[in-house]
Amino acid sequence: MNNWAQFMAILRKDLIRELRTRDMIVSMILFVLLAMVIFHYAFTVKEGTDLTFFTGGMLWVTFIFAMLLGLNRSFAQEKDEQCLDGLLLCPVDRVTIFFAKTAGNLVFLLIIQAVAVPVFALFFIERSFVGDLLPFLAVLLLADLGICALGTLLATISMNTRSRDLLLPILFLPLIVPVLIAATGATTLIFAEGASFGSLVARLLFLLGFDAIFLVAAWGTYDFAIGE
Amino acid sequence: MSDEHDRQDGAAPLEIEVEGLRKTFGRREVLKGISFGVPRGGFLSIFGPNGAGKTTTLRVLATLLTPGAGAIKVAGHDVREDPMPVRRAIGFISHNAMLYPDLTAQENLRFYADMYGVQDREARITELLERLELSARRHDVVRTYSKGMRQRLAIARAILHRPRVLLLDEPHSGLDPRAVDILDGLLTEIRAEHTFVMVTHNIAKGLEWGTDLMIIEGGRIAYEHAAGVDHAAFSAVYREHVNDGSVA
Repeated sequence: MNNWAQFMAILRKDLIRELRTRDMIVSMILFVLLAMVIFHYAFTVKEGTDLTFFTGGMLWVTFIFAMLLGLNRSFAQEKDEQCLDGLLLCPVDRVTIFFAKTAGNLVFLLIIQAVAVPVFALFFIERSFVGDLLPFLAVLLLADLGICALGTLLATISMNTRSRDLLLPILFLPLIVPVLIAATGATTLIFAEGASFGSLVARLLFLLGFDAIFLVAAWGTYDFAIGE
Repeated sequence: MSDEHDRQDGAAPLEIEVEGLRKTFGRREVLKGISFGVPRGGFLSIFGPNGAGKTTTLRVLATLLTPGAGAIKVAGHDVREDPMPVRRAIGFISHNAMLYPDLTAQENLRFYADMYGVQDREARITELLERLELSARRHDVVRTYSKGMRQRLAIARAILHRPRVLLLDEPHSGLDPRAVDILDGLLTEIRAEHTFVMVTHNIAKGLEWGTDLMIIEGGRIAYEHAAGVDHAAFSAVYREHVNDGSVA
């Protein structure tokens, strides 16, 4: 039995289930689109307003709250029919469960972003940023990894508590602030000035560092987090 | 299993060994040092009132809970120090099916087969679905199944990886008489292949299946006996020890 096969089994199961029910993705997409529309009408009351330096903030605050919706759902299915017990009865390293769940959340977040970013560009970006796509994707992936790693760990911790809907944002939002600050700054620079990799290196390294911290923290604590 | 687990009297070696098991939730001690053994091929029926510690005992054996104190071995492996071989050796059937409602029967079994590394996955799934008379519904999502069908599929999930030990937590709970008959037929079929521990409130079923009987009360073993007592006599013992009015 190898960890990779178990990782793929958990990821495949989560993807099949979500693509069949769509209860997580639909709510996340609706939230993101609604937020974009509200931002658009709120910030364009006065014609000619330059929104360039708000773009990073608007984008990431939307993604963070959309992800909170998804994280709350990602473990809810495991509580149905005591499926979590079924999973924990399997001879699988708990860290493999963490990585598979993180990968699943990452896939869902990327799907949301694939829908949201073009809409966002349509509403708020006046210059073409096709040439800046690679730095933007790098920021997106590094920030997403941190968000999903921390979010998965905290969703696991909060799932067995009575006030999990309250506990998750209370724990998640303060801890994710460093990632948000770096991602927002980098995204704004890309949309405003077409920043290159060179000018983003400090922020990318910062995101990478936080990803590493969250992954190592989860590695060390997940057995405890998902246990009793 | 090694020779150290073989009993001196020539009886079957112990598949489950529990010595001084204690478990505390917060400040409440649920298990207060219980000890028992189940020989290979044996069937232990555990009775007791709600909150006595029966399910906690089963969940410790299944590695779902960590014991607070005591030495607990399943299939020769310590549940705390060496949980992976224990998980490979056990199947767990509860009144909750532990099946994903939005996946089909086949997808559920494929998932668990991959998690346990079952080599002959498709053949094994086909064999079990036919044996459990679920082949015709294998592509239907589990959400559309009746309680009895879910329970049958839960048995398939539990024995998919050919475990040595089956742990049953009130398996008859919530089933209609027809589903109970089907479940009992299945247990009869697989009885010789496994060692069983069953937690139940159903005295008739517990006596019918058990080679050993145990009553847990207040986190302690209140009564132990090899099977052979009749329903009336055991009901009297149960009333004496439990006295919660639940004896049928």
